[in-house]
Parts: sequence; C-alpha cells; structure tokens
Amino acid sequence: MEVLAQYGGAVLATMRRDAEIYLSYRFRIIGQVLGMLFSLSTFFYIAKIVRVGAVGPRGEYFAFVVVGVVTTAVLTSALGSAQIVRMELMQGNFERILISPLGPVWGVVSVAAFPICYATLFAGVMLGLSVAVYGVPLHVANIAPALGVGVLGAVSLSCIGLLFVAGLLAFKSALGATWVIAGLSFLGGAYFPLRLFPGWIRWTSYVQPFTPTVDLLRHLLIGTRPIEPAWLELVKLVGFTVLLMPISVGALWLAVHFSRRRGTLMEY
Amino acid sequence: MIGRRTLATDEPHDAVPVPPRAADSLVAFDGVWRYWGRGKSRWAVLRGIDLHVAAGTVTCVGGQNGAGKTTLLRIGTAILAPDAGTVTVDGISSDGNWREYHRRIGFLSAGDRGLYARFSVRGHLEFSVRLAFVPTDRRQQLVEQALVGFGLADLAKRRADRLSQGQRQRLRLALTFVHEPKVLLLDEPRNSLDEQGLAMLVGAIDGVLARRGAVIWCSPAGETQPLKFDRSFLIEAGALRPV
Repeated sequence: MEVLAQYGGAVLATMRRDAEIYLSYRFRIIGQVLGMLFSLSTFFYIAKIVRVGAVGPRGEYFAFVVVGVVTTAVLTSALGSAQIVRMELMQGNFERILISPLGPVWGVVSVAAFPICYATLFAGVMLGLSVAVYGVPLHVANIAPALGVGVLGAVSLSCIGLLFVAGLLAFKSALGATWVIAGLSFLGGAYFPLRLFPGWIRWTSYVQPFTPTVDLLRHLLIGTRPIEPAWLELVKLVGFTVLLMPISVGALWLAVHFSRRRGTLMEY
Repeated sequence: MIGRRTLATDEPHDAVPVPPRAADSLVAFDGVWRYWGRGKSRWAVLRGIDLHVAAGTVTCVGGQNGAGKTTLLRIGTAILAPDAGTVTVDGISSDGNWREYHRRIGFLSAGDRGLYARFSVRGHLEFSVRLAFVPTDRRQQLVEQALVGFGLADLAKRRADRLSQGQRQRLRLALTFVHEPKVLLLDEPRNSLDEQGLAMLVGAIDGVLARRGAVIWCSPAGETQPLKFDRSFLIEAGALRPV
C-alpha cells in the first residue's frame, strides 16, 4: 500500500509540476478558450443548415457534434503523449524521471497524466459553455455516469498513446499519431452518424475505443439512441481498455529495454 | 580552503589506497563492457571495467574526451545497459529492483540541461523529493537543507530561466543531493561553479561521506580538482588505470 502511495504521489507531483508550468502561460489558456468558443460558434451555425432529424429523432446536430468535438479533444490529448515525451527528451528533462525510483514506464504515464486530465476537464468546461451559451439540452442527471465513461474512454485511448510513446522511445519516431487521431475521430463518428458510411468501411468504426466512447457519451448526455445496446458498448469499451492496457505497457517496457541496450533511451 | 577534503596544495597521497573487496563495495561495476556503433564501425568504449567503491570514499574517474566516462556513469544510472557485466549498488541491481536501486543513487549529468525553464527553484526540489519517494515527514526538511546547502534560499521562488549559469548548476547539484542518496554519480560537476559553489559542492559531498555514502566523480583529464580523492583512475583505451 505504501509503495502504491509512493508511485501515486510521484505521478501527482508530476501532474502538479506540469499544471504549474502550463498555468504560467496565461495567454495560452485565453487562446484555448477563445478557440473553443470559435469552434462552438462555427458548429452552432452549421447545425442550423443541417436538416432536422439527420442525427436522430430530436434533430439536435449541434448537441451531437459538441459531444464529438469534446471527445476528440480528449483523444487528441491522449494520443499526444508521444509529443510530450519527445519534448521532454529534447529538453533533457526526461532523464530526471528515468533515473528516479518511478522508472521509465510509470514516468511516461506520469508525464501523460496532466494533459489528459486537463483535456478531460476542458471538455467538461466546453460542454458547460455549450449549455450556458448555446442552450444544448444536456441531461444533467447523467453527468456522473458520463464522467465514468469519459474516464474509461480516456484510459483506453491513452493506451493507444502509450503505443506511440513506445515507438518514439524505440525508433525515435512517432509517425502517424496525427493520422490516427484524425482517423479514429472520423471513423468513430465525431462529426456525423456512422450510418452515413458505406457498409464496406463501417466495420472499422467497431474495432476501436473511440466509437463506443463517443456513442455512450451522446446517449447519456443528449439522449441519442446508441448504435448498439448501451450495455454492449460499455462491455466493448471495458474490453478495449483491458486488452490495450497490458499490450501498451508491455510495448513500452520492451521499447525501454531495447533503447537501453542501444543506448538511445535519452536521445532524440 | 574548500571543505575538509580539499587539496590546498599539491601534496602527494600518503599511501597507495587499498581497493575495497567486492563484498565491501557500496558500488560494484564487474566486468562491464560497452560497445558503440554497429557493424564494422563498432568499437568497445569500455572493456571489462571492474570498479568497486567502498562506503565513505570518493573515487575520481578521469580521461580524455570520448574516453567513456559518461558511458560508465550512465551505465551506473541504468539508463544505459552494459553489453556484458553487472552493476550493483548496495548489492542491488537495477534489473532486480529498479525502485530500490534508484532510491540509492543521485546523478548529475554533464552540461546544463534537465531544468524546467518556467518552474521555480523550490518547485524543482519539491518535485525531486517526491520522485525519489522521500517519506512525507522528511520532504520539507530536505528541501530546506538543499536550498541552504547550495545557496539557493534567496532564489527559492525564482524561475529556472531567470538563474545565471552558475546558479543553474547549483540547482542541478541540489536536485542531485536533495534526497540524500547513498551513491553520487557526478559527471563534470565543476561546470560553471565559482569558488563559493565549489565549497558548497564539497560540503555536500562531506555530508554524503558522513552518512557512509560513496561518490564517483568524473571529469576530463588534467582538470584541477577541488577535493582530495580516495582513489583516482584514468579511462584509457576502455580500461581503468589507477593514477
């Protein structure tokens, strides 16, 4: 228990460090809020030209797309872990974490934790603003279960992010992260319903964690009908997480081992 | 006069120091080989290094640029794996128990990297003790001790990017010593330090030795040293030669 507390404490300390550094860039936060409002406004007006009923019986395209956009923000952050580790390596700061008792695997988890938590919090603020400013009819009673789904989705997507970190540590390259973010959100139905896809490509939407995450969030927060029964989507999401977690941690461990042998662990 | 271990003059060593037996070593490098490069351009930078460092001693490892000093220290930190051989600290190997191995070591890399520009001096130290798994009741005391010990108390709230080069090096040293590691691996620790900074470094080393810790000090050959070493070696052609 004490050991777990030590690891948890070190991860929290890393998050606190990253939060302090992040908050020192005040204009970045203002820029993010303005960007968010701009994005919401754009979709607000696009939603006015989308025909009623296009995304479900209630015809709320704006609410539909807002959930897609905030989930994509969390996805982007989760898959951005490799970029954060790359920056740490380039600045020579990752060494301090690597040579600590925390170790490389937990070290990567700790540096990825703040951006993901921040993105999740930011997604919550974005949803709140969409309710307050644009009148999105959010089901407030379902916020707690939606938060649970959000966390599960973030963990699941973070596991994919760890695979990119493993690639970065082993081969000094995380090529494809941007494509994967775009692909997952596109194929996961962030901006439009999956039924619009041709049948031959639709299967790709069902073999990745983004789809059940965004679909369950929409179901809970704005009352859309889920593509599959909600319980099945939840089982799929848990399944993806359970499957991806050992794979990503194992890949990370192998990458650390490989780059320690090659002598490139500290290089970029 | 800098610290109690200072060589104020060029006085010779009193006697040839006796190397510790493997069983008495706090740090033990045994048969460490390390190659760099691949294929035909592959060369051995370390050739079967045996280095045993006893508790309460400071060992200097010198050598020309590219001799393998940093490689040796990086193997000591376990971020670089040897191609052959083993390294133990307090009888523990990093592969056997990463956590306990790294609780025992403090590492200063050469150069001036490893600081967060927009993070305060105190923030760095508080972060470092958390990373080192220092128990809650000791953290504050150790942070204050490091701030005072390296002359950073007045700079505690200052961001790292507002520090001079010498102050940055003192902060890097403070981060290396703050969790009271048993073994210090120092790579060119003199960088940018003035006389006062050197005195602080030697004082901190005295503290490590008083706790029966050990220090491995690496520096380029020919550099004037601010303290008296218990043993000195040169790395030449991948092998350690006593000096």
